[in-house]
Amino acid sequence: MDALIIIFITGLLGLFVGMLKKSYVTLAVISTGLIGGFISMFFLNDYKSIFSAYNGLSFSPTQQMFALLAIGLTLLAVWLGYAYYKEDEEHTADYYGLILFSLTGAICLIGFSNMFMFFLGLEILSIPIYVLVGIQKGNSLASEASVKYFFTGSFATAIMLFGIALVYGATGSFEMKEIQMAIDMGMSQSPMLNIGVLMMMAAFLFKVGAVPFHFWGPDVYQGSSNAVMAYMASVVKLAALYAFVHLFNHTFQSLTPFVSGLVLFAIVISLFLGYLSALKQTSFRRMMAYSSIANTGFALFAVLNQQFGEVSLWVFLIGYACSTIALITINMVVEKETDELTNWKGIGYANPFIGITLVVSLLSMSGIPPFTGFFGKYLLLSSAFANHLTFVILAIIASLIGAYLYLRLMVLSLSREGEGKKLSMTKLQSFVLVLSLFGTLGGWLALLIK
Amino acid sequence: MELIFLPLILGIIAFFIPTKWVRPFGLVASIGVLAVSIVHLIGFDPTNYVLILNPAETFPLGLTFKMGYDGLGLTMVLLTNAIISIIFLANLNREIAQSPKFTGLTLLMQFALLGLFTSLDGILFYTFWELTLIPIFLILYWFGKQDNNRALFKFFLYTLLGSLMMLLSFIALAYFSPNYSYFNLVQADFHGKAFEAALIMSGILFAFAVKIPLFPFHTWQAPTYTNAPMAGTMLLSALMLKMALFGMIKWMIPIGFEGLVYLKWPVITLGGIGIVYGAVIAMKQKDLKTLFAYASISHLGLIAAGIMLFSLSAIEASMIQIINHSIVAIALFLAAGIIEERLQTRNIEDLGGLAKIAPHFGFWFAVMTFISVSVPFTAGFIGEFVLIKELFSAHWVIGITAATTLVFGAVYMLRAYQGSMFGPTKVTSFQDLRWNEYLVFAILTVAAVGIGLYPQIIMDFIKPSITFTQELMSGDLTLTK
Repeated sequence: MDALIIIFITGLLGLFVGMLKKSYVTLAVISTGLIGGFISMFFLNDYKSIFSAYNGLSFSPTQQMFALLAIGLTLLAVWLGYAYYKEDEEHTADYYGLILFSLTGAICLIGFSNMFMFFLGLEILSIPIYVLVGIQKGNSLASEASVKYFFTGSFATAIMLFGIALVYGATGSFEMKEIQMAIDMGMSQSPMLNIGVLMMMAAFLFKVGAVPFHFWGPDVYQGSSNAVMAYMASVVKLAALYAFVHLFNHTFQSLTPFVSGLVLFAIVISLFLGYLSALKQTSFRRMMAYSSIANTGFALFAVLNQQFGEVSLWVFLIGYACSTIALITINMVVEKETDELTNWKGIGYANPFIGITLVVSLLSMSGIPPFTGFFGKYLLLSSAFANHLTFVILAIIASLIGAYLYLRLMVLSLSREGEGKKLSMTKLQSFVLVLSLFGTLGGWLALLIK
Repeated sequence: MELIFLPLILGIIAFFIPTKWVRPFGLVASIGVLAVSIVHLIGFDPTNYVLILNPAETFPLGLTFKMGYDGLGLTMVLLTNAIISIIFLANLNREIAQSPKFTGLTLLMQFALLGLFTSLDGILFYTFWELTLIPIFLILYWFGKQDNNRALFKFFLYTLLGSLMMLLSFIALAYFSPNYSYFNLVQADFHGKAFEAALIMSGILFAFAVKIPLFPFHTWQAPTYTNAPMAGTMLLSALMLKMALFGMIKWMIPIGFEGLVYLKWPVITLGGIGIVYGAVIAMKQKDLKTLFAYASISHLGLIAAGIMLFSLSAIEASMIQIINHSIVAIALFLAAGIIEERLQTRNIEDLGGLAKIAPHFGFWFAVMTFISVSVPFTAGFIGEFVLIKELFSAHWVIGITAATTLVFGAVYMLRAYQGSMFGPTKVTSFQDLRWNEYLVFAILTVAAVGIGLYPQIIMDFIKPSITFTQELMSGDLTLTK
């Protein structure tokens, strides 16, 4: 709760500090606020908060872990975008303020305990993103992406709201616990509830970017700036996925037999469509978009696993988000006028540090041990093994296609020939790379602590 | 602990030291690691497990992080360290040894291999198994022929597919064992579930079959070998293939022993087909490296078939044959590498009369040819003889098929030797052996003949491990040992 307020106030403060038109001051304020939010979230249970009477939000240890991850990833996205934002000193604070507001929504979405807070979080998360995607005013791709995302996104929100209304109608409550109780009492056959849950699921699939509601992904990724893309691929995805998993693993847990077929369908189609389309892309951003669709497919296995779903998702998301952020940082340095993949030729060979980060990130994405990506996939698949063996095997075949995709990029950028030249990075970008490298190399060690 | 992590640290250092020191650094580092493992050998009692990492608790996922070695493991550790030193020695005069990338990656590879041979935890084993793939892939990519992406992708994805199947099996094993500790996995309860055991085993087997490679899974091998640099081929054939054979002895069969009835004869049959198939293809090859690659399929088919019998003497003979194959592989690929470096060709038809111009090379190549066709008093003779005998007593058809390897081996090896060394001289100049190449051949010969004369030294090492594993499988032993 305190973390939420610290982050929100920092966002506001950032907007005011932005009037100084000194981007480093804004960066300092925003970073301090985020670190403060991180610390207060970390020591959440160690002191009595003045807001403890409010029960719209509650953080169990798992939710705390997710919130910490969201704040940490936002920090990375903020630092990674600095090199780009500081060129536009007048608007630096706008970017940062919006990202922080969106993070506020993400934290609400992680800690919600009633439908009202859930919907509020979803909207606070999404609305700044609509703006952030279209904030490059001169760029026609950005405008297209923004409008497209806004229209489809608000449609999805409407569907979500309709679903919530139906669930409310069937169970008579907004409180998660009461809804769950009503469902467990024998409401699970009610058509009203089932339709409501289906609508919520459709909206969720849109928000996390899974097939068949994935069409916005590639266009939005292509139109937005690197930092926004990194933020969307990591934090937005994390919050939406967590809410999805949390809702379906706790509140709607009696409905699992009813939804599992649909979720499995979405998983398989996302995996294959994502990876196979990614193979055909020549643009880095579109490739990342399709690869994120496929990774969402993996993450959705968590919905089917009530026991370890959330922890598995957490580990998986560390691996996925850290490698994605590393790759996007590198893309930011590599990108010229276009984001064609041919720009990547030989950069890993000419720049050893970028090369190492790239190799580790891509191998982690392909699910090769001992990187975090492997442990995430392993956890997700091993828990689905007993009940959905066929789908686990299909997922493994898909991950082989994915391995080919990432390997191709790796080979391209490690090539000895080609115009591999020295690239210059800012210190902050290198720092982001180092941090994400730690995440991909050692994120799974967090498993040993708990 | 230092046994495993020394190569990792040295490998990371290798990336950062000045380029002019890299050449001696690799050799010195690998000899240092070898020395450390010899220190471990002194005072080692083969009847005991030496645990080098043994946390008391079980971590989430059933991870136990146990590491340690028995006689079998230590043999492989010593073999790895010795072979890596020899690879550095053999490449000492070449351009590749100058590269920090090569030196570092080879040492990382050594780290992964040592980890694999000493891991006593299923997931740890899988992790190291995959980890070996990364350095070798980069070595092949950076130092191999240009435009070899197709062969490389095939190699990587094929082995990755195998590994994923192994992962599936390990995930499934979690339902039969409380955690992934080797000792618990071996005691996994498959009573009355022989078919499940066989299914789980076949997933693991698939990974191994791709790596060995057994007959229908071998298609990645020849293109990968021919495109690889000499050092990469040596690493692949002398060490990486041995991972799979070691895995069969130590992991696959003890874990899924109840399922062995289903898999024994299929694998032995595939091994038998591989013996003949590899040899017949090898006889037709003109490229020396391709020839040796197919010869390797033939030799390894025999070892794999022998391991599947899982009798004490078959395993002992297999281990001797594993060591022998490492020796032979290093020697033959070095010979092919020498020819390729001096003449830019490996085609037997373009060679001829080399023995006249380079008598030392001619002599040592001949010695190595004889070792590879397993003449008496070499390690190969003991290994192949016992293996064929064991296979014969299992079934006479497979015995006879296996025995053909002796004849076929002599045919393709002598043909290769004769074609390149004797006959009309087609080459004008050929630099004779350098001192390091001389040394490599000499060391390998001493090793092969030494084991050939006194194989007991290996057998004494292996025997307690095998009996220990067998007792462990029957559940006779407490885990405290």
